[in-house]
Amino acid sequence: MKGFTVALLAWTLISPCKGSSGSGSREAWPTHIACRDGGLEMLYQSCDPLQDFGFSVDQCSKHLKPNINIRFGIILREDIKELYLDLALFSKGSSVLNFSYPVCEESLPKFSFCGRRKGEQIYYAGPVNSPGFDIPEGKYQVLLELYTENRSTVACANATVICS
Amino acid sequence: MMAPDISRFLLAVLFSASCRVIIASDQICIEKEANKTYNCENFGLSEIPDTLPNTTESLEFSFNFLPAIQNRTFSRLINLTFLDLTRCQISWIHEDTFQGHRQLSTLVLTGNPLIFMAETSLNGPKSLKHLFLIQTGISDLKFIPVHNLENLESLYLGNNHISSMKLPKAFPTRNLQVLDFQNNAIHYFSREDVRSLGQATHLSLNFNSNDIKAIEPGAFGSTVFQSLNFGGTFNLSVIFDGLQNSTTQSLWLGTFEDMYDQDVSSDMLRGLCEVSVESLNLQKHHFSDFSSTTFRCFTRLQELDLTATHLSELPSGIEGMNSLKKLVLNANNFDQLCQVNAASFPSLTHLSIKGNMKKLQLGVGCLEKLGNLRKLDLSHSDIEASDCCNLPLRNLSHLQSLNLSYNEPLGLQHQAFKECPQLELLDLAFTRLRVNPPQSPFQNLLFLQVLNLSHCFLDTSNQQLLAGLPVLRHLNLRGNPFRDGTIPKTNLFQTVGSLEVLILSSCALLSIDQQAFHSLRNISHVDLSHNSLTGDSMASLRHLKGIYLNVAANNIRIIPPRLLPILSQQSTINLSHNPLDCTCSNIHFLTWFKENLHRFEGPEDTLCTNPPSLRGVKLSDVQLSCGITALGIFFLIVFLFLFTVLLIFAVKYLLRWKYQHI
Repeated sequence: MKGFTVALLAWTLISPCKGSSGSGSREAWPTHIACRDGGLEMLYQSCDPLQDFGFSVDQCSKHLKPNINIRFGIILREDIKELYLDLALFSKGSSVLNFSYPVCEESLPKFSFCGRRKGEQIYYAGPVNSPGFDIPEGKYQVLLELYTENRSTVACANATVICS
Repeated sequence: MMAPDISRFLLAVLFSASCRVIIASDQICIEKEANKTYNCENFGLSEIPDTLPNTTESLEFSFNFLPAIQNRTFSRLINLTFLDLTRCQISWIHEDTFQGHRQLSTLVLTGNPLIFMAETSLNGPKSLKHLFLIQTGISDLKFIPVHNLENLESLYLGNNHISSMKLPKAFPTRNLQVLDFQNNAIHYFSREDVRSLGQATHLSLNFNSNDIKAIEPGAFGSTVFQSLNFGGTFNLSVIFDGLQNSTTQSLWLGTFEDMYDQDVSSDMLRGLCEVSVESLNLQKHHFSDFSSTTFRCFTRLQELDLTATHLSELPSGIEGMNSLKKLVLNANNFDQLCQVNAASFPSLTHLSIKGNMKKLQLGVGCLEKLGNLRKLDLSHSDIEASDCCNLPLRNLSHLQSLNLSYNEPLGLQHQAFKECPQLELLDLAFTRLRVNPPQSPFQNLLFLQVLNLSHCFLDTSNQQLLAGLPVLRHLNLRGNPFRDGTIPKTNLFQTVGSLEVLILSSCALLSIDQQAFHSLRNISHVDLSHNSLTGDSMASLRHLKGIYLNVAANNIRIIPPRLLPILSQQSTINLSHNPLDCTCSNIHFLTWFKENLHRFEGPEDTLCTNPPSLRGVKLSDVQLSCGITALGIFFLIVFLFLFTVLLIFAVKYLLRWKYQHI
């Protein structure tokens, strides 16, 4: 009986130790729905091993309007005086589109959140200057990455867009 | 009898488990500079690891777990100068937390849900210079303990709930240079608020994203500022009214994509007449009635930034802007360079029209009135010209720096930059250039020192391409292929003997002639990375000494012994990402590599590829012995023995034969 107690004690003490060592393989972040409406479904999952983030798109539709409004919530792990977005679009496993877009630059901070610092929590609800277009039917994989001038990741998302 | 044994065993397990935690935390912190700089970010640590040396000076400890910090939390690390405690879930900072930290100069507390800071919580440091209290939930500036802030140079208070910038009476401002209130809830300034800044002069104040609704007229009057930022404020006249009679070096009044935007009228800008400003930024505003009168109060400006202000034209006939030195018109909608009406700004030394949203036509002589222009940036503007650049750049005789990178194809004729003979820097990267051999487009740029021609799709077989550049020091030819992948004996470098830095990476090179760089006597930096060169190409560097040589990501397998003296005379070499051979056929190089490890850049990526058993092993870890093997020695002895026996028999037989026939 005594042995069992000690074993239990040992187990409870060891278990959190493993957690704090940070070496254990962590479950992937959950998949969230960015929008689901008008024949369009957008799902995403954070691919930053350190944290999840929140994202949603207003007025979801396969006839995407220009300058759509989004909501975005995240904790910054880097200063974002300079912030860049890389987007890679795949359809049926082959690459369709790749582009890189400066979001914040020292000479042109486009958004009011530019210049915020590491550790700040950001909530952005507002427009992104996107073009309007019709999304052809199909299933698309999108890889989005926000990073700083040192190529340090600010946010990373694996998204799936299903248009039916 | 059994139970105590088991419990003793389990106790041992328990003990070893707690040991493991310490070992684990030892691995957690990354040493950036031995005994001085450590990074322990993102590990949920609840205390300072015992393994950090007492000599630690700079500690990045963000994203850990320290609900309360107190006197003993950091007591061991008395040499700390920089401490980053971003998002450590700190609620309490108790008395005398930093009492022993005499050297501490920067303290970052961003993103902690602070409930209370004790009166003496910041006491101790001799000169605390930088304090970050961003997003710590502060609503009242009295929250900050003032006892040890006499030496404070910058205070960051962004993203809090502050509604008044008024500093408490006891707040020392004597050394303050930066006061940052970004993204708070300050809507109003009174004279008294600004007066609380006390003796501070040449202060940089940041009120970006505060939605300022009113300022008591002249509140900022007769104070001298380094910079003021009221970014995101749409009613500019409110700001100008408040700034009456003030003096500031730089005033940032731009807005953002996500801000509600009211058009700026010329009336709103009238207030600028009462303010003394050297540099003004109005990025992303819309102007409702843009005309020459809009600029009536801009006459004292030296720098004006109108980035992304939806301009398709600057009005002609702007008067009195003789003092403007720098004009930024990036990301606008000009069709023609002449629409800038540059003649209004005769003193201009810097002009930037980068990232124009439409295809920009260069026109003829649009900038010819800018005789003082030193620096011109026309990059990323979709410029296309079949005959560049003498007509568009007419009369820019003082131009020193020209950036035409990231444009559409440009045709360059002989002496294409004759109009700007003073050029020192020319950047044409990622702009396709059309040059007909044997023309020399850069002829007579007698002062050109830096030339960036990366990814210009040049005809590198044109030997006269770089003729007429007597003092060129830095040449970037990255991404320009050479014919047959070879740099021949006679080549375009023969005319640029003054080169010090030469970049030939990603040029699809297979080989370089031994004499190819013969005329380059002053070179100190050669980048040949990302080609398909072999070790033999190194012979072309025979006459060079003490250079930085980058041959990373090539096809180098074996470096023959005759080439080792050439490498020995260079100061730094990067051989990483090559398919290096680690067999005995390369033994001379391998031995030499280990003796000269200090010369090598990126040794952790300098790996063996052959033999398969050593693939991926660091070159510095390879142990080879390439003498005769034991088996070889055995056979040699056997062979010698048999030979001796045979010889003896032969001699014996010969003697016997001889004696028998006497």
